[in-house]
Amino acid sequence: MIKIIHLYGGMLLTAMGQTLLLTLLSLFFAIIIGMIIALMNVGKNRLLNLIGTVYVDAVRGVPLIVLAYFIYFGVPAGIKMMGAVDFRLPALQAGTIALAMNCGAYMAEIIRAGIESVDKGQMEASRSLGLTYGKSMRLVVLPQAIRTMIPSIINQFIITLKDTSILSVIGFPELTNMGKTIMGNTFMNLQTWAIVGIMYMIVIITLSKIAKKMERRINRGRE
Amino acid sequence: MEENNVKVHVKNLKKNFGKLEVLKDISIDIKEGEVIVLLGPSGSGKSTFLRCLNQLEQATDGLIVVDGHEITNKQTDINKVRENIGMVFQHFNLFPHKTVLENIMMAPVELKKMTKAEAKEEGMRLLKRVGMAEKADVYPVQLSGGQKQRVAIARALAMNPDVMLFDEPTSALDPEMVGEVLMVMKELAAEGMTMAVVTHEIGFAREVANRILFMDAGYIVEEGTPEELINHPKEPRTIDFLNKVLS
Repeated sequence: MIKIIHLYGGMLLTAMGQTLLLTLLSLFFAIIIGMIIALMNVGKNRLLNLIGTVYVDAVRGVPLIVLAYFIYFGVPAGIKMMGAVDFRLPALQAGTIALAMNCGAYMAEIIRAGIESVDKGQMEASRSLGLTYGKSMRLVVLPQAIRTMIPSIINQFIITLKDTSILSVIGFPELTNMGKTIMGNTFMNLQTWAIVGIMYMIVIITLSKIAKKMERRINRGRE
Repeated sequence: MEENNVKVHVKNLKKNFGKLEVLKDISIDIKEGEVIVLLGPSGSGKSTFLRCLNQLEQATDGLIVVDGHEITNKQTDINKVRENIGMVFQHFNLFPHKTVLENIMMAPVELKKMTKAEAKEEGMRLLKRVGMAEKADVYPVQLSGGQKQRVAIARALAMNPDVMLFDEPTSALDPEMVGEVLMVMKELAAEGMTMAVVTHEIGFAREVANRILFMDAGYIVEEGTPEELINHPKEPRTIDFLNKVLS
């Protein structure tokens, strides 16, 4: 075990960094996707509702690993078939797209539930003052919705961080992939995977503690 | 028909929720400075009618003109018209993430009616008027029901509306807090505000209303002055309702 840490410690930390980078990038885009889809779903426009529902159902209905294969291998193959140049997405980009799409669908549901948890009277009071739907959403409904959303978002953040390990299948050099490499070199199955597991655990527990603290700070005073 | 002093003109208003006909055929004019009280059993359509007047409920059919704006016409900018129609809700609907003063300042500032400084000054003036100036910087959660409703009235007044709609403003209050809210409403009426009030407070109706409309099953069954309608009701349904609430 000591030997592995001694030999591969730096590489493991770099890989952890890649995992975090992928997580944060995906989460950033997932929140944007989630917000757009959620707003499509809570509005009254039937067409937008339909698009939003189809997106959520479709993405949630496909395993992340299949989605990742599709984007990393399938899409470039499709582009090639249409006669375009040889095109290939780097693993980071493909991984970010796959994770952001996947996480975005769950985020959309979290945000939609948050918006719907705000009393209908809030929107009505704002509209009755002459504010538009958009302004009422931005100034009145969303600030209240966010508070109920925070625990679920933290939860989703942790799930996404763990899901990055799935992207080892497209060769992205994140932590799990590094574990495979070390394992291939040392054949020390038990020690390698114990170290990798503990590294995930430390990061996740630390991040959730920080998130809890942030959550408490946001809620303080006003409720 | 369109006399200058008619503030609210409603003709053949109908409202359905799916197959349920809540408002069947409502026609009424409210004149400037008039205080109308809507009485009736629950489910009679009073609140729905009130909510049609600022299109929180979209009318199924019929014509509603407020301040010369045909709000049942889809071309009308309803947001613009709503700036002139204040509404007070049964459950106050104050914004919990904003302080009392911020609640009042939000609409005038966002709709560019006032600068922040003007809105603050106007907000404090309105809070004084409803006796809530010392609570300007607290959050709504720290207020009693009666205090919340007085703030909600101030918030509606901040847009300087021509018409005020009150949807059961005292129904969610503890009995000892009803008086303070009615007092503010009486003052408002005395200053000449055009008001439409859905309430079960017969005493308020008797004292303040110019006209009372009795609604039942989606129709205005009877209307008249408080003297006529409360003391000498003609329709059996009105008599029946008043017997129940006055006993």
